[in-house]
Amino acid sequence: MNLPLDSGLPAKTAFLRVGLWTVFLLFALRLFYLQVLHGDYYRTLSENNYTRTIVLRSPRGMLLDRNGKVLCRNRVSFSLVLDAARGGSIDETISAMRRILDFTMDRAQVDAALRRSPVASLAVLARDVPPSWLQKIEAHQQELNMLRIEMELRRDYPYGLYAGHALGYVGLLSPEDAERMKIKETDPFIEVGKSGVEKTANVRLMGVNGRRTAQVNSLGREVEDPKLRLPGVGIQEDPVPGKPLNLNLDMDLQTILENAFAGETGSAVFMNPNTGEILAWVSEPEFNPNLFSGTVSASAWKDLVNDPARPLLNRPIQGAYPPGSTFKPFVALVGLQEGLLSASTVFTCGGVWDYGGHPFHCWSKGHGTIDLITAIQNSCNIYFYHAGDRIGIERLDKWGRLFGLGRKTGVDLPGETSGVLGSPEWKAKRGLGPWYPGETLPVSIGQGYLTVTPLQLLSFYSTLATGGTRYRPRLISGPPEVLSTVEVSPEALGVVKEGLARVVSSGTGKGCQIPGVEVCAKTGTAQVVQASSGKNTYSLDKAERDHAWIAGFAPRSNPTVAFVVMVEHGGHGGDVGAKIAKAGLEYLFLGKKPGEVIGPPKPPSASPPPLAEPEIPTDLPPEVPPPPPEQPTPEGIPQGTLQDQNGPAGVRP
Amino acid sequence: MKNTLKAYIAYGDHLTTLLFLVLLAGGAVMVRSATFGTKFAPLAERQTTWCVVAIAAYVLATLVPYEVWIEYSYILYGLCIVVLLGVMIFGHSVAGSRSWFVLGPVGFQPSELAKVAAALAGAGYIKDLSHKVIGIKEFSILTGIIALPMLLTLLQPDFGTATTFLPMILAAFYLSRMGLSQILKWAALAAALGGVVFVLGWFTFFKPYQKERVLTFLNPASDTRGAGYQVHQARIAVGSGELTGKGLYSGTQNRLNFLPAPHTDFIFGVICEETGFLGAVALLAIFFALLGRFLSTLLVARDMEGRFLVLCAFSVILYHLFINVGMVIGLVPTTGIPLPFLSYGGSSLVGLSLFVGLAANVRAHRFVR
Repeated sequence: MNLPLDSGLPAKTAFLRVGLWTVFLLFALRLFYLQVLHGDYYRTLSENNYTRTIVLRSPRGMLLDRNGKVLCRNRVSFSLVLDAARGGSIDETISAMRRILDFTMDRAQVDAALRRSPVASLAVLARDVPPSWLQKIEAHQQELNMLRIEMELRRDYPYGLYAGHALGYVGLLSPEDAERMKIKETDPFIEVGKSGVEKTANVRLMGVNGRRTAQVNSLGREVEDPKLRLPGVGIQEDPVPGKPLNLNLDMDLQTILENAFAGETGSAVFMNPNTGEILAWVSEPEFNPNLFSGTVSASAWKDLVNDPARPLLNRPIQGAYPPGSTFKPFVALVGLQEGLLSASTVFTCGGVWDYGGHPFHCWSKGHGTIDLITAIQNSCNIYFYHAGDRIGIERLDKWGRLFGLGRKTGVDLPGETSGVLGSPEWKAKRGLGPWYPGETLPVSIGQGYLTVTPLQLLSFYSTLATGGTRYRPRLISGPPEVLSTVEVSPEALGVVKEGLARVVSSGTGKGCQIPGVEVCAKTGTAQVVQASSGKNTYSLDKAERDHAWIAGFAPRSNPTVAFVVMVEHGGHGGDVGAKIAKAGLEYLFLGKKPGEVIGPPKPPSASPPPLAEPEIPTDLPPEVPPPPPEQPTPEGIPQGTLQDQNGPAGVRP
Repeated sequence: MKNTLKAYIAYGDHLTTLLFLVLLAGGAVMVRSATFGTKFAPLAERQTTWCVVAIAAYVLATLVPYEVWIEYSYILYGLCIVVLLGVMIFGHSVAGSRSWFVLGPVGFQPSELAKVAAALAGAGYIKDLSHKVIGIKEFSILTGIIALPMLLTLLQPDFGTATTFLPMILAAFYLSRMGLSQILKWAALAAALGGVVFVLGWFTFFKPYQKERVLTFLNPASDTRGAGYQVHQARIAVGSGELTGKGLYSGTQNRLNFLPAPHTDFIFGVICEETGFLGAVALLAIFFALLGRFLSTLLVARDMEGRFLVLCAFSVILYHLFINVGMVIGLVPTTGIPLPFLSYGGSSLVGLSLFVGLAANVRAHRFVR
């Protein structure tokens, strides 16, 4: 037992005992530090690990036409989101993304996406990605830790191009939008209307996102585990869906009119004059709002912006054109109201009128001595030069203001331009010098210092139809809104209406005769370039051809529809314009649906078209392009003194 | 037999037995919690089975007088060396290293048993010494006995397990005829030498993942996603347990897969998370009580070979404990060393049970001449 062993054993053992205590105390102190002193800090970290706030996205309200046809709905889409707060390297994520998802994006694009997002650190990298990415990202959890796939609801416009300008489009909320609209958002997938009724009715269409806190595992997958009921998990706020929006549009009429344009550029608006309900809103070329139903690929955007036909221009309210002869009924009405003209007032047209040494031409070699109704019917320029000269620019300006010409109509669409109704006051304000009496003459035939939007002209004809009550044109259904009432004498109205009825029965508007319905309308041919004077407009290059107008209402007594059609460079209003107007009127009065071409060319697709590759959102904000300048410099209009040119003679009806 | 049992009841190391059983039970419970609801859930049953095997091994190691074990130690040692050689050829390959024998559903790591065999063989060598003093020559031979299976383990290659042989060499060194002060001088020298080797190794033979572990250990916040992920998540698990823990089966870091390897290397993280500071310290107290018991046995052991066995058990278990707990609580870089008796794994459990059993055996036979 007492072997002569190492005599130092007790000391060695004691040393080990001290060492043992040291290690124990070291461990215990470390645990105390981590668990007791910093326990709440680590508890928070562990809670952050297992809780995730899941956004319950609210669907945006549907758009419906007056017959309940779905013009816009929502579809499910998968999007790729980068969460920069999740730790890791963006550059490594980019290279892993290229390797694993075969998806190439450079650092600048990712940074741009981060800047564009209303939520700091969250960026939408791509939308409409293949669902297979979901598994791929989960399978490469470590490398693609910053990425995740989110399901979102996107706009789907089943009619595609049809009524694109009326409906408008949506885009992802930008930080600027968020600030302007006072939206505090934690979801990068908020879409806001950028044009059309999508923009006008944005607040109503937008719902409120709900949210839910879920318990997730390390893969980010939601897990239900009754043993782990944890504080903060399971809280749910239900989303409030956006309200559906009923529009006044009649999609059948819309389709018929758009098809009737057959590739021409221009506008057509049909409206119920008694309520201001817009039945059709054509702005050709239309754009396909599906292209924008989120973000636009850079190339698609450039194509739209650079397209010489300017498809983003909402022509009925953003195109300001000289109204041409469609303006003559206004001049006639002002003359009648002011007592300066009567049905029996006659002037003689010899094809040209020498005014202060300057020749003003009629489109005809001479209409002879004619009265007012015949002048409207035949669209005699000389007659209206005389009439305008007698009335004077001040009275035209006064009545123009009452009828809202050269003013915004207040339609429920964004980006309306006002056009110009020239007056001495207007000219002086622009520093263009005094008003020359000779400048009243071109205005009298709808040229000169005068541009209107198609909707303004429609508003005027609609007011003729109601006998003076002006309604706000509205795409969104609701009670009618009277803008103002113009005091017009029934006699004066009767004379103008007679003239308009004759235009259709035996004048330049024969093209829109409808059996059994007396249509009142006036055609117009607005000169685009000086060169067209006296030439056959169809012999000119398309870009130099005159604009074709037709505007009117029907039936003559108790009108139910007012319309305007304007075809850019369409030639004579009585030809192409009347044909389009007729297609619409035939549908409205005869229930005629020409040919097979009702509805969109392809049936509304139930699912989104499979994209060849996911789209990358771009920096370009899908905003309405700036409207053309309100100051008209109508081609073929005297800019200097009258001596410098031949005058806007020879304007065809 | 009857006498043996009587003696066992009279002189057996019941405190060690008790502590050992508590640790086994804790392991069985924690492995269950750490695998609950995962694909590893069947391992909980298997661990319970291994506990029965471990108890059997412990009983065997305590009942058979340790001089009998030592008598057969060379045969056991030889067998183990043969098996270690065999496993390198016929073993089951996991992640590039052959360290397992697989028989049906049961896998076994022979290197765990080889450790015990090496300790017994070392004791056998000491027993055969006439002077019973460990000098330079004796220490070299003891080192050789331990180093042979260690090198074979290293060749599998299983670096982590190989290092668990080292504490036994230190045990031999500690028991040498040198006094404490002399040993401490050597220890200081070794520490300096180790530092030099580390620096040299850093620029020569360290593998990238090894360097990464050291770096993340030194600065765990540097990369909480890559190499630092495990360390970071383990620390969250430990800290979020707070004073009293989240409750068994209720550790979110464990149950929601944030904690890596929760039933093996990081089981102490589960313990910290689910039983809190109180549970973790209680567990440590049991471990250190057991180790303290070994130290008192060291003083009363009747012979040198007995002391060697006790000190081997002491150093091997302390090494495991220090490295594993230190790793989980962020005091030591990440290594693949399991927590004795609690981490899932039959070979390690049986091997360490034999060590505890032998230590208890030495105490039980302290009066036997």
